[in-house]
Amino acid sequence: MEKVWFAFLALVFLHFSMRAGTVPICPDRQAGCRVPSLADVFDRVIQQSSRMHGISSDLHSEFEHFFFPSKNVIGRRRCHTYGIITPDDKENAQRLGPEELTEVILRLLVAWSDPLLELHWSTSQDQNQDFNHQSYNNSLEITDMVHELRDGVEKMAERMKLEGVLSNTVGYISPDSLVPSSVFSFYTQEEFKPVDQHDLLYCFRRDASKVRNYLRVLKCTTLPELDC
Amino acid sequence: MRSGLMTLLLLSAALRCNGTSPPGKPVLVGCRSPDKETFTCWWKPGSDGGLPTVHHLYYEKDQSNRIFECPDYHSAGRNSCFFDKTHTTIWEEYHLTVMASNALGNTSSDPIKIDVMKILKPDAPENVTLWMKESDRSPYLHISWQRPHNTKIGSGWVTIKYQLRVKQENSEDWEYHNSGTETSFNRYNIEPGAVHMVQVRCTIDHSSWSEWSNTTFVKIPNYVENEKPSWILGSTLSLIPLLTTLCVLVMKRKSVKQWLLPPVPGPKIRGVDVQLLKNGRSEEVVNALNGLQNFPPTAVWMNQDEDYLIVSDSSEWLLSQPYSSEKRKKSLIIPAGFQLDSAIQCKESTPSDCQKAEDSKDKMDHLDTLLNSKPLGLTTEKQQCPSVNFVNKEAAVQHTAASENTIQPLANTGYVDIQRHEKMLEDYSRVSEVSGENILILEKENVPLGSDIPSWEENMPQDYSRVKEVNSDNMVFLQKHNESDDSLSKEKNNHSSEWSAQKPKKPHVTECSKGMCTELIGNGYVDSVPKFSVK
Repeated sequence: MEKVWFAFLALVFLHFSMRAGTVPICPDRQAGCRVPSLADVFDRVIQQSSRMHGISSDLHSEFEHFFFPSKNVIGRRRCHTYGIITPDDKENAQRLGPEELTEVILRLLVAWSDPLLELHWSTSQDQNQDFNHQSYNNSLEITDMVHELRDGVEKMAERMKLEGVLSNTVGYISPDSLVPSSVFSFYTQEEFKPVDQHDLLYCFRRDASKVRNYLRVLKCTTLPELDC
Repeated sequence: MRSGLMTLLLLSAALRCNGTSPPGKPVLVGCRSPDKETFTCWWKPGSDGGLPTVHHLYYEKDQSNRIFECPDYHSAGRNSCFFDKTHTTIWEEYHLTVMASNALGNTSSDPIKIDVMKILKPDAPENVTLWMKESDRSPYLHISWQRPHNTKIGSGWVTIKYQLRVKQENSEDWEYHNSGTETSFNRYNIEPGAVHMVQVRCTIDHSSWSEWSNTTFVKIPNYVENEKPSWILGSTLSLIPLLTTLCVLVMKRKSVKQWLLPPVPGPKIRGVDVQLLKNGRSEEVVNALNGLQNFPPTAVWMNQDEDYLIVSDSSEWLLSQPYSSEKRKKSLIIPAGFQLDSAIQCKESTPSDCQKAEDSKDKMDHLDTLLNSKPLGLTTEKQQCPSVNFVNKEAAVQHTAASENTIQPLANTGYVDIQRHEKMLEDYSRVSEVSGENILILEKENVPLGSDIPSWEENMPQDYSRVKEVNSDNMVFLQKHNESDDSLSKEKNNHSSEWSAQKPKKPHVTECSKGMCTELIGNGYVDSVPKFSVK
């Protein structure tokens, strides 16, 4: 009987001791947390950006379904982030280098914080109830997500600097330096009409896709052979 | 009038020229990018109008107003346009238009809007291979493949995710599995002996799925069955000793039961046969019980024959013949307790007394006699004239009467009182007086049954001898007990201790007559067993 009790206690101890290997990644390097590796940080950030891109696609498709049944409408779109030079293919993205790529990512994320808040606010005011209920939830989620992703990318940049992968030329990017001040007025001509909302959502979806792709290229450039 | 005729002639001339016309309107079928770096578009031409028709594809980009033409019309086949890497930009919309032109005119198709991220569709995975592997004595199928050759590894530009499906050849439903970004998969649930079919497809960045790869077949061998016989053999061997043990237990169940539950001994009465009790015949039961305790059996009234017991302590005494012949009767029964009727017979010398005794003797109808052919000798000191003779009437066996009935004279005789059974007497003679030491005077007295007996015993004259013990050789030991007369008692006591050494022949009564059997029991008692019928 004692042997059985001892075996049971040993199993319980092992179970709890083995669980120490799966301590969650602590955000602020608190004591007792397992410090994640750079690869883990990359994976986390890329996961977040993928989620953001998925939600933005949903938002846009919902909007199009309600207001623009025809999919072949040709229209010239200009996004407020046109001033940010972004590589539009693989070679150009690889040619940029990690520092510039990180900077582009951060710029994009910074540029979208406020317009999304506006969008969220405008969806709550809209008359169309059916559309707004779903888009209201999504816009709220998107706003939070952009904030989190921006913080995550900044931390990732810091980590990369520590490990020598990233040089110190990447500085803090202020929200006002690169984005046109009249970003809000960019989309609103008179009121925040549904057409404007449509353009905004389209632009955001495209930029979310860019962020995700740039992050992946950044990861595979700095840490090759890791699921690339 | 003439203008009308002229138009008719022109129309007829046109009709005679085989129906050439401007080309029909082409239709853009679609575009596809397999690797997110290039893409291809196809169109479907309309009628050519009978004339050689050329198609051109023009496109515009979102950010600029320039119109470009397709850079490559041939790489992707007919009626297609291939955009290579330099002409492909992601996150920018393309507006495509195809224009068909012949000698008679141009016809443009409807424009389409292309976003490269939306026309992604990779090629099917390549080199799907199946391997049979074993893990912990259980086989599994290891499926591996390669990513499409036109997607470059290492840049991180594309994220390919795979999906495979498996089914057996004779089943209808496929089994779908998502592999993620792994290029291999292990399937554990496989049936030996069956043919399995596997197909794999992939996707880029959550785009639409590719086509299924070519079907790969594999046949699983039947090697798993070899493990079963050893298992069956082991279980059978372990069952055999168990079965034999059970058989032995069943066959020897009685001994096993006895060993497990030993019988508890029951109570036992010494000398009593349990089976006899069980049989239930009370007659035998009573016999058995009586035999055990040596109780004197219940005396049965006998016939009225008188019997005499001759007790003499002198050798001169000789019983006359007529007495013996007269009194000789059948065998007698002496009940337990050795009751002896005091039949005193006087000698001829004292006829008066003897007559009295004879009279009283006649009245005796209960025979309690000693089973002796010879009278018991009682040695007394004095031999007087009238000695009491106790005729041993028994003549136990009739056929032996002649020889056995000799009664020897007794020198000295004394009154013998035998302790009697309670139920015994109805009529007996009591000695009233002993004259001297040798003469007993009987007095007639009817003693009632039962209750008087103890009183009789109490009131009995002082001079009497009580039989103390019966010798096995037909000798009676008398115990003279006299309370009143000390002298007499002394003498009597002396007498009691002496015996004449007479060894009469030991009779053995074997036959019974008239319900009475006498039997000499060799344990010192003169016992007679009454044989009476129980009703």
